[in-house]
Amino acid sequence: MSNKSMNDPLHPRPSRLASLAPQDEGEGARRSNTLEGEGQLRLSSPHGEVRNGAKRNEASNHEGAWLRFKRAKTLRKNFAYHGAGLAIALFFLAPLAVTLLASFRHGTEARQPAIPPWPTNGFSLDSYRSLDSFGAGVWQHTVNSLAVSLATVVLTVAVSLLAGYGFSRYRFPLKNVLFVLVIATLMIPFQSILTPLFIILAKLGLNNSLVGLTLVYVTLQLPFSVFMMRNAFDAVPKEIEEAARIDGARDLMLLVRVLLPLVLPGVATVAIFAFLNAWNEFLAALVLLSSNEKYTLPVLMMAVRAGRLGAINWGAVQAGVAVMTIPCLIVFLALQRYYMRGLMAGAVK
Amino acid sequence: MAETGVILKDIRKSFGNVDVIHGVNLAIKEGSFVVFVGPSGCGKSTLLRMIAGLEEVSDGEIEINGRDVTDLDPSERGIAMVFQSYALYPHMSVRENLAFGLKMARTGREEIEARVNSAASILKIDHLLDRRPGQLSGGQRQRVAIGRAIVRKPDVFLFDEPLSNLDAELRVSMRVEIARLHRELGNTMIYVTHDQTEAMTLADNIVVLRNGRIEQQGSPREVYENPANTFVAGFIGSPRMNLLDAKWIGNDHIELAGGKIASPLMAQRLQDGEKITFGIRPENLAVVENSGEAIPAKVDFAEYLGGTQYLYCQLDDGQPLVAEYRAGAPIEAGRRIGLSCAAADHRIFEASGARIR
Repeated sequence: MSNKSMNDPLHPRPSRLASLAPQDEGEGARRSNTLEGEGQLRLSSPHGEVRNGAKRNEASNHEGAWLRFKRAKTLRKNFAYHGAGLAIALFFLAPLAVTLLASFRHGTEARQPAIPPWPTNGFSLDSYRSLDSFGAGVWQHTVNSLAVSLATVVLTVAVSLLAGYGFSRYRFPLKNVLFVLVIATLMIPFQSILTPLFIILAKLGLNNSLVGLTLVYVTLQLPFSVFMMRNAFDAVPKEIEEAARIDGARDLMLLVRVLLPLVLPGVATVAIFAFLNAWNEFLAALVLLSSNEKYTLPVLMMAVRAGRLGAINWGAVQAGVAVMTIPCLIVFLALQRYYMRGLMAGAVK
Repeated sequence: MAETGVILKDIRKSFGNVDVIHGVNLAIKEGSFVVFVGPSGCGKSTLLRMIAGLEEVSDGEIEINGRDVTDLDPSERGIAMVFQSYALYPHMSVRENLAFGLKMARTGREEIEARVNSAASILKIDHLLDRRPGQLSGGQRQRVAIGRAIVRKPDVFLFDEPLSNLDAELRVSMRVEIARLHRELGNTMIYVTHDQTEAMTLADNIVVLRNGRIEQQGSPREVYENPANTFVAGFIGSPRMNLLDAKWIGNDHIELAGGKIASPLMAQRLQDGEKITFGIRPENLAVVENSGEAIPAKVDFAEYLGGTQYLYCQLDDGQPLVAEYRAGAPIEAGRRIGLSCAAADHRIFEASGARIR
């Protein structure tokens, strides 16, 4: 970057060049040091080529002082920028770090207030062991949660991909009415339909089953997902699809080979939302599931949080929070690149 | 059905209740370069898209090389299309873009490789094969789009305003490129544009469309010199042909803006005193001394274009008229001049617009 600005014919003034130089961390800083030492304007490009003529070498002290001022200002600005960024990052990371560290404290220590937040008597897995003693064991509940969440993601993506494509590209009667109806269901608080859902699932023989819970999650997730996917497909130019049709790609082939890569940001967004919502959902899981070994992690966490005989095992709570957070972090970090683009695509169109 | 090329038989298209194409009949010879030209909304793109199979035909038949393709899938018609917006697959490299159609047709790997490389070398995009479309300039993207058409070895190339997204300089060089391509490949090409320079320079055959109907079809020279009606006369040529209200006064004479012009014409159909439209191209008008034979006019302003000048004039009855003036001396605005024209350059039209020959 520095190299480019150095060679920029539009800004041949040495002062301008020097003000740009410190932005380049290593090379620029070194160059600034030599500048200060020599006290004259002798700028060289990274290739060692002397850029400034004799006239420039005899520049006045006044300009030198101005240069130093400029450079100091840039450094201060950079420092403030990064400092503020670090501080903000710290605020966001601290609770996660405290929880994770506290979950590794010894059993007795875990009951004390978390100051200092790290284990003082060495690391131990006590908290995780006591977490495992709740319900049907933490593994069972984690597997339940993972199964439900991943199935929700797969079903939601599959259905919303097809529905979004249909709503975006096909012409059929009552298309807009249908779409508005789908979106309108977002306005219904899902707690209010919990009882009917329970009855329907019971009639289908799907109460107290993870399959039933998955279907409920997919249902709740679909309106937003269909909306998201329709926007994603709307943003794909029609000509690309027509070119693919001329090239001989049809129906599913067209969708998978040509369109899917183009709506991937939308798919990632839908997947993240579906996963997080299914993973963290509590009320429906509590109401629709009834046997111990079927409960998902949030229900387990409620039991842990409620404690036994009024005594809350804070170590187990910390461990449970850690177990619940990690998959969310992994999913978000893995997909965030697409997720951001997806949100923007939705915003503009 | 031994005929080759593209044959359109009474093609009609309607979107809901709106008819956009009203029965187009057209025979395009194999190997010819046909340009559809017309104002926007005249149905030229719709017609092209129907040939491509991207738009359903409401009524009529399309034949390509003796095969009825009216109801065939676009990929089975033996056509390839180049879009105005390039429509490259942004997630594929140039090589994959070129190979995609062949892959869909399950062509062998070596065959694909060979065809892609030969198309790339024809279009001089060999060095770009591993790039993504996003890393290419507009001209390069258009080449890739044309390359994607070439590898399919189609019977007919369809171009939908392929140059309108390019800047003026690039447009000229790509135009030459497309002409060269047609000469080298010898395929039938159908090209849609609203730019009449492109139409005139590229076409073997121009089809002028208006409101979903063919107004005239012929070689560029024919269409320019012998327009079938006032629409074609006014549409082809820049600046456009002067179309002036005049009156047939019999005895081979026309009354125009109070003056008389001799125009030998076998016009038995015309009644004396009937209104006509008198057409004359700007370059066929000569500036002369204001005398009895010349049409008197007043110069409103003159446009200097280097080699030539356009004089925007007004006739005595207020009708505007443009004359091209090649002589050196400048003519200042406000001056009165006389204009003369050879009888062979007169184009006379009925009041309804149809040509009287």
